Amino acid sequence: MTDFLPLFIEQLQSPTLGFLIGGIVVAALGSQLAIPDSIYKFISFFLLMKIGLTGGIAIRNSNFSEIILPALGAVGIGIVIVLISRYTLGKLPGISVPDAVATGGLFGAVSGSTLAAVLPQLDSAKVPYEAWTAALYPFMDIPALVAAIVMASLYISKKTGNTSEKVEIWPIIKESLQSSAVTAMLLGVALGILTKPEPVYESFFNPLSRGFLAVLMIIMGMEAAQRMNELRKVAQWFAIYAFIAPIVHGFLGFGVGLILHKLTGFSIGGSVVLAVIAASSSDISGPPTLRAGIPSANPSAYIGASTAIGTPVAIAICIPLFIGIAEMMLGR
Amino acid sequence: MSQQVWKLVIVAEEILSKKLTKLIKEAGATGYTVNAAGGEGSRNVRSTGEPSVSHTLSNVKIEVLTGTRELADKITREIEAKYYANFSIITYIYPVEALRDHKF
Repeated sequence: MTDFLPLFIEQLQSPTLGFLIGGIVVAALGSQLAIPDSIYKFISFFLLMKIGLTGGIAIRNSNFSEIILPALGAVGIGIVIVLISRYTLGKLPGISVPDAVATGGLFGAVSGSTLAAVLPQLDSAKVPYEAWTAALYPFMDIPALVAAIVMASLYISKKTGNTSEKVEIWPIIKESLQSSAVTAMLLGVALGILTKPEPVYESFFNPLSRGFLAVLMIIMGMEAAQRMNELRKVAQWFAIYAFIAPIVHGFLGFGVGLILHKLTGFSIGGSVVLAVIAASSSDISGPPTLRAGIPSANPSAYIGASTAIGTPVAIAICIPLFIGIAEMMLGR
Repeated sequence: MSQQVWKLVIVAEEILSKKLTKLIKEAGATGYTVNAAGGEGSRNVRSTGEPSVSHTLSNVKIEVLTGTRELADKITREIEAKYYANFSIITYIYPVEALRDHKF
């Protein structure tokens, strides 16, 4: 433990976290600072494209079969997170099952901004990881959203006795793949594998990514402070869940990563990425999919929980926590 | 040169925008106009303009001109049956004069 604390504190001083907290503070103080929506959209596209390119270049230079087991692990984690929420949050007094399942779906789904935040921090800490681990994103994201929508629909049709309406899974998968975040990343992966994008990567995407990430963190912080109002309108259990769940999910992801480490030699750094993907909750693509897929669930509950608390906890606590643990395991 | 028509206005969650415009076209309307909208209603305060990560909390205002009251009522009934229970949505109607000769 004495080894771990200084490593954890050093991670807490990273610029990522500072910009996030800065965004929370200015929005909470009622500042007029506004960053246009289009800039936010461009930055998230840019960062996911960069992550995709990194992953694609890595896949081109490595053995593609390595990714299969971690991808299966990611699918499993995504579904288990929704089940955990269904049988913990969903059993609490005053919480409806559709609300609990939708919240679980959003927490099982993945945040592009959190993913963009963890990778440079691993680089700074000099913890090696397989660059293709970012490509695990859709493998956890899509199954979690599908599982949530299927579980909620089964519950509602059982409750109302209306079993005639079947849940169509393919439209959910299609919608997730067509979402801006997943599209940008998969396009980056494809370009990384099929073309040789190193010149644009080295001169444009890589040098600018840290600055853009800092701006994105301010936006996420401001967004978190604004969504607090949503969260205040729903049961306090959502806030408590939103605080604990990212940490529990992170340990679940890290555990799966360590099993893969023993079995296949998957790196410790890769386990950190898997942990942070599991800890993160979707802010871009997940909410509209869930709103359309589980219309009876209250969006204030799941968006408030995810954006106001889940994402800040994943970035501010889970990233330093798991990088700290990894450094300790690597004997730093 | 003007024509008496009905203007049906639908203020709804942005994520319903595509579904609503599809429903409007399939009901037989010749066209529609979509604007971004913000404001406050019984469910929540909803606004556009501020940084918003997901557009799940944004609104649109859709305007449809229909030649007959029956067509406007048909569209309203379909929207009511499908979306009133779970979504933030409001519809209203008023008679207007269309200034361009057009078959509504």
